[in-house]
Amino acid sequence: MNVPQNQASTKKVAFFNNPANRAVIYQALLMVGLGYFFYTIISNTLANMEARGIKSGFDFLWGTAGFDILMSLIPYEPTDTYGRTFIVGMLNTVLVSSIGIVLSTVVGFVMGVAYFSHNWLIRKIATVYVETFRNIPLLLQVFFWYFAVLSALPSARQSLSLGEAIFLNVRGLYLPDAVGEPGSGVVYAAIAVAIAAIALLRRWAKRRQALTGKQFPLLYATLGLLLGLPLIAFLLMGMPFHWDYPALKGFNFQGGITIIPELMALALALTIYAGAFIAEAVRAGVQSVPHGQTEAARSLGMKEKQIMNLIVVPQAMRVITPVLNSEYQSLVKNSTLSTAIGYPDLFTVFVGTTLNQTGQAIEIVFMTMAVYFVFNMLISVAMNLFNKRVALVTK
Amino acid sequence: MNKLQTFTPSPARPAPENTVGPAVWLKNNLFSTPLDTVATLLLGYILLTILPGVIDWLFLSANWTGDSQDACVNDGACWVFVSAWSQQFFYGSYPTDELWRVNLSIAMLVVIIAASYQFEKGVREKIIIPLFLLLPVISIAILDGSYLGLERVSTDLWGGFSLNVLLAAASIIVAFPLGFIWALGRRSHMPFARSISIILIEFFRGVPVLALFFMGSVMLPLFFPEGTSVDKLVRVWIVLILFMAGYMAEVFRGGFNAIPQGQYEAADSLGLSYWQKTVLIILPQVIKVSMPNILATFVMLFKNTTFLLIIGIFEMLSTTQTALSNSRWLGGHAEEGYIFVAVVFWTVCFSMSMIATNIERKLNTDHQ
Repeated sequence: MNVPQNQASTKKVAFFNNPANRAVIYQALLMVGLGYFFYTIISNTLANMEARGIKSGFDFLWGTAGFDILMSLIPYEPTDTYGRTFIVGMLNTVLVSSIGIVLSTVVGFVMGVAYFSHNWLIRKIATVYVETFRNIPLLLQVFFWYFAVLSALPSARQSLSLGEAIFLNVRGLYLPDAVGEPGSGVVYAAIAVAIAAIALLRRWAKRRQALTGKQFPLLYATLGLLLGLPLIAFLLMGMPFHWDYPALKGFNFQGGITIIPELMALALALTIYAGAFIAEAVRAGVQSVPHGQTEAARSLGMKEKQIMNLIVVPQAMRVITPVLNSEYQSLVKNSTLSTAIGYPDLFTVFVGTTLNQTGQAIEIVFMTMAVYFVFNMLISVAMNLFNKRVALVTK
Repeated sequence: MNKLQTFTPSPARPAPENTVGPAVWLKNNLFSTPLDTVATLLLGYILLTILPGVIDWLFLSANWTGDSQDACVNDGACWVFVSAWSQQFFYGSYPTDELWRVNLSIAMLVVIIAASYQFEKGVREKIIIPLFLLLPVISIAILDGSYLGLERVSTDLWGGFSLNVLLAAASIIVAFPLGFIWALGRRSHMPFARSISIILIEFFRGVPVLALFFMGSVMLPLFFPEGTSVDKLVRVWIVLILFMAGYMAEVFRGGFNAIPQGQYEAADSLGLSYWQKTVLIILPQVIKVSMPNILATFVMLFKNTTFLLIIGIFEMLSTTQTALSNSRWLGGHAEEGYIFVAVVFWTVCFSMSMIATNIERKLNTDHQ
């Protein structure tokens, strides 16, 4: 402001030069502009919908779908409603996203740590993996696995098999299924008890170490509880499970668990693609830990494995976690590529078939967007909670 | 006086035998521990069993010359497929006589990018930046042709890799200033402007880009007044701009956070107005620190242009799919086609990430 300083307090600032007034004016203009924009869009949309005879509202959700879905985690018949196709699609999205998130984390961490291996060959393989798959479009990778690799598998009669229990052919991957008999509930309960016991044990061991410095062999105790309790329950109840093996009947396999090739191709592509980004983040995270930390730990006489687990990784996690958050979110968003190969997730089923049949574009697109939005929010909340635990605590 | 002792240096001793040489390198890098040795042997065995076959298929017994499927007589890859379809891969169905227009558009893009490295700051600000902003309009005029008195080429015929490049470039050129304004809005003290910016940014970042494309192709026509039809490619362009602006705004936000508070205060104390401060002091520094992330975002956008296949735009992957289902090429050339597209995209994306890494290294003055 070019008002001389000695007069500034006495002379009134011009109306338009007052930032508060300006803010009000600008925002009023913005509001009017946006209001006009939305008014035009909404009136145009209503006029267009009337002209084309498009209905609006969510009544269509109770209409009969009339089409079949390739794969469903809950019972589904073509006579069910469009609302149910929404649920089926959503569950399939959750399935492929969870598989992708778990596997890409494993692949990413293994490859990220492999970058620091003493072995030249392992280092090079990690680098080549990251640089190759990060820079190739995901859709191309999905196509590659689906059209070039999985469709080149042998037919059902010439399936690749592992011990006559696992079969792989062009129609999918067939795994034996463990079917529970009466009494199997006890085994599931034992698993739950074991997990709760491990959580308690870990807290107790941590507190005891903080108080007395005595270490508790947590790894063995965890493994023992996790395997031991269910095993005891399993034996006590008289082995209440049997395997349901897939078997070739006619032209196809029956029984067991079937993993359709669409799911395999999508999960594989998502895992490898996101894994490359996570590996890169892990590498950056480990590199962000100052070298002095490793040297200090070494001079304290810690073993290399302890240095990695207790000194480097906890500090690296601070850099890795935000990247993991955004990678998981983009993995969920990228799972919509299912529609290119026909894996029946929310996008394929709901935005694809249901939209085509009902024509209610606005409701369906917004419902779908809302679901992905909510999924991303959930991931974000979970990762932020986790981030709070690993974040640097400054005192 | 004592006679001065003469100093006779003893000759430098050779380096200890066990610290240099290929044998030591092998021992340290491949066979340092028993576990390492096992890993090396196992991985080496796997690579040795796979690689010769792959190399043989890719190069040695591949078919390089010919113009139809019948020319592929060897067992290896049929690169004839790629060469026969190369024009479609790069230009889509654009008329052969008019290809110079596509080349001209891409050449202009390359020249302007190169010029922005060459010329000094004054020229850059006054000429190159306006040229950048005009480029999408000029390119569209050239490619379409009807405004320039050339033969009109319908957008249905545009396609191939050139479409990927031009769409990505045209989107980021517009998304750059738009994203910057959204990022400014997010930092603004005006509550209404701030909430609008946050909603826009989070909406376009939180929703799958494919859903946005569907919105562009199914819903956008409903938004325009009755009777107006907006070209499909333009609708896609709008969606790409908005999507990209959301990501750019977030990149700029990171850049803003990296600028020390003193810069704002210094600009304020010099009496600069808000826009002078933002454009002259803050923006150049924001662009500098966020350059690696801008490039990374651009690489993401560029890879995502392949998603346009799903709504029926003939970008490169889409033309590949069309070629694969052509009745004269039904010999299962999926591997060749996909590998070729992958190599093209990989080359572009990898060079851009290399540039980003170099800039990052230059900017990073921390002591490691």
